[in-house]
Amino acid sequence: MKENKKIIHVLIVICFLFFSLVGYLTYVQVFKSKEIVKNSYNRRQFQVEENTVRGKILDRNGVILAYNEENGGEQQRKYPYNSLYSHVIGYNSKVYGKSLLESSYNSYLLGLDEYTKVFSLFKSSNQDKKEGNSLLLTIDHELQKLSHELLENRNGAIVAMNPKTGEILALVSKPDFDTNEEMLANNWKAMVESQSAPFLPRATQGLYTPGSTFKVVIAAAAIESGMDDQKFNDKGVITIDGKEISNSGKKAYGEIDLKKALAVSSNVVFAQLGVKLGQEKLQEISERFCFETDISFDIPVSKSQFQYEKMEQNDMAAVAIGQGKILVSPLHMAMITSGIANNGVIMKPFLVSSIVSPNGKEIKSFKKEEFKKIMEPDVAIKINKMMQEVVNSGTGKKAAIAGIKVAGKTGTAENELTHQKKDKEHAWFIGFAPAENPQIAVAIVLEYSGSSGGTIAAPIAKKIMEKYLKEK
Amino acid sequence: MFEIFTYRKPINYVIMLNLLAYLIMFCNLKPYNVETLAFGIGIIVMICITYFIILKSNFGDEYLFLIVCMLISLGIIMIYRLDNNTGIKQAIWTAIGIVLFFVTCMIFRLIKIWDSLAVCYMVTSVFLYLITLLLGRNINGATNWIVIGGQSFQPLEISKILYILFLACYFKNPDQLFFRSSKYDEAKRIYLNKFILVLFTFINIFFLMLQKEWGSILLFFLVYIIVLYVFGKDRIFFLCNILMTIPVALFGYHFVYHIRVRIDTWLNPWKDIAGKGYQITQSLFAIYSGGYFGTGLGLGRPDMVPAVNTDFIFSAICEEMGILTGVAVILLYMLLAYRGLKVVMKVKSKFNQVLGLGITTMLGLQTFIIIGGVIKLIPLTGITLPYISYGGSSLISSFIILGILQAISKEDYIDSDGEIDEGE
Repeated sequence: MKENKKIIHVLIVICFLFFSLVGYLTYVQVFKSKEIVKNSYNRRQFQVEENTVRGKILDRNGVILAYNEENGGEQQRKYPYNSLYSHVIGYNSKVYGKSLLESSYNSYLLGLDEYTKVFSLFKSSNQDKKEGNSLLLTIDHELQKLSHELLENRNGAIVAMNPKTGEILALVSKPDFDTNEEMLANNWKAMVESQSAPFLPRATQGLYTPGSTFKVVIAAAAIESGMDDQKFNDKGVITIDGKEISNSGKKAYGEIDLKKALAVSSNVVFAQLGVKLGQEKLQEISERFCFETDISFDIPVSKSQFQYEKMEQNDMAAVAIGQGKILVSPLHMAMITSGIANNGVIMKPFLVSSIVSPNGKEIKSFKKEEFKKIMEPDVAIKINKMMQEVVNSGTGKKAAIAGIKVAGKTGTAENELTHQKKDKEHAWFIGFAPAENPQIAVAIVLEYSGSSGGTIAAPIAKKIMEKYLKEK
Repeated sequence: MFEIFTYRKPINYVIMLNLLAYLIMFCNLKPYNVETLAFGIGIIVMICITYFIILKSNFGDEYLFLIVCMLISLGIIMIYRLDNNTGIKQAIWTAIGIVLFFVTCMIFRLIKIWDSLAVCYMVTSVFLYLITLLLGRNINGATNWIVIGGQSFQPLEISKILYILFLACYFKNPDQLFFRSSKYDEAKRIYLNKFILVLFTFINIFFLMLQKEWGSILLFFLVYIIVLYVFGKDRIFFLCNILMTIPVALFGYHFVYHIRVRIDTWLNPWKDIAGKGYQITQSLFAIYSGGYFGTGLGLGRPDMVPAVNTDFIFSAICEEMGILTGVAVILLYMLLAYRGLKVVMKVKSKFNQVLGLGITTMLGLQTFIIIGGVIKLIPLTGITLPYISYGGSSLISSFIILGILQAISKEDYIDSDGEIDEGE
């Protein structure tokens, strides 16, 4: 019948209309819903926040670093140490949103995780405010405070971690800012416009030329290639591919071995080493040491860079002394240091050790975990010895602690500003102590300090390690 | 005995949905309220009894009622969750609706003169529009309610049914609706009757414009076009009707402020979230806050959406029961439309065919217009979601429509293929 055929047309049209509803609904849910739900006019997001006492954040010894306070019926986040944790905990603001730990652990802090949801189903009454879970950090508040003081008003970063577990003990970046709501409101505009980038968590997201600290990586490659017993002739200056590379102060050391070369941070020797190792080895070792690799951490970390497709001889020489197109984050440098300290194995760095429910029950805990094996134990032990020599007799003497063996490496990194003939090098120091049984590893960078790592970074490392080991 | 618990019986899905929903609401809504469970059991009993009657008294297509049962259940659950008292009222309206469903079904079968009452339908319809104009109260921004003895009610819902009945009368004998015994020749009679068809359609649209019921205008017009497409013999007349919409739509967009605002807020509601875009953006927040599986009954905030238990009930369902339930609801309406059209195709009498087609397309399109509106697929127009939205007049007219469809399905039903198909 002709009409039945037309009724089928109608059916097709109606089905098409309904499927377009389903399709559109699904499309928006998949691709647009996050953006829609986050709109500041969606009162739901604040509703949860207003009805919840956001969990506290505590250091490893129970010092309260962030808590909620009720102010005229409104929940307000308080940070008693103002700017001290701005690049670790971040901020939680109704106006400016959330950052760092406040953002990555938001659902736990608000008690929105699956565990809390299921177990509170039959408990709380609608009238009471819900309580979120607390975070217990691996940070040692005293050490964090000391690091913060030692940086003074210089820009830079300090990372201290336990090389055997991966626990982050201190994580300081400067410049920093007060994370309390009213201070954010007062300073926001100026900070956004500021050239010193106060919002950048330098310790995790800042990328710096590693300078001579990268020589420990090259030393590992050299040892693996059987060059640890070779002697090198250091005349103070060497020309590779028409480009002159010289030691600091053009000092000539004569016939020296790898250990001595690292101790005095000989650019001439390491430049030669770089050429000898060749592109393949350099690329392999940088990859093995986690350059161009995503590091999963409790807060975002920038990828360290090793940007070479094809290397010329002078590129190899530049890389071997930590210059050239390589960039590293302070956290990554601390991890490499920890890897050497921990017999070649990097432990996964972590900031949050456990999550505790309002009634004191641990609902999740984070244990030490191997991140990557970067070298054989015997290579690590050799580098460890060499790094002790740096502190005993080389450029890192100022990091020495009486009665404790310290291993370290200094660095003075040229950067885009030093090319304009200004006194603007980054000062680096990496190290760990006690050398025979490492408890703490540090990485320190002072931006555009114009001074050498041995002069200004090493003493800071010394004080941090000394304090931590004494308290233990 | 075991047959009661089998998954093969679609009615068990309806019972399961109700059991789970009221149990979850009991757990999630504090303070604990035993009435919730009692209410749920009451609903289940009501549904079971109705289903039993339909089954035992051989009422024709049972799946129509099953699909509607699922929708009704979802609606009552959501409305009860939003406000217990409104939920109870809705349940009472449902009970009245079910009674009317049976009554309509019987009356429609017993009285056979429905196809000769075209003048009555027209007069009643115009009368209803006029009293709405004169006595109309403004409730929720639309002046289309009249209040009788404390009960507010929307005559528009009745006009919809009258219009479909009129269409059925016309297409039964396009040349003999009026002027049957006049001296005009046949061509002239067809022409005059056609004129009356267009005239009555435009009278409807005119009164709806006065009430600012843009969604209903669209609905009436689309039903008119579809019926004309299927049963109209005159192709040129059909094309003329379609072409005429273009200047009318353009005129509407340019000169009617309300239509322009609706279209502009549809194109970009984020421009004025606090003002004109408020309703639609709040609806979108609700829909997508729940994700695929929803926040759980009683755990979301659908109360933040304006008019949530009528126009925006779909948003509330999506928020608390998830996008997947939203999709399930859409598919249920699609099945309903499919069952309806299947009935239409098997029916023999022309009058019943047109009636069935009109009813089914009206239900289907109304659903599309309102769901499309709240998810921002098309401009938002405030009409109710059949069987789910709160509201006595909407519910009752929907049940009367279902009763007519059920009666048609029984009347001419040729039960040839044993009826074991995808109806559930």
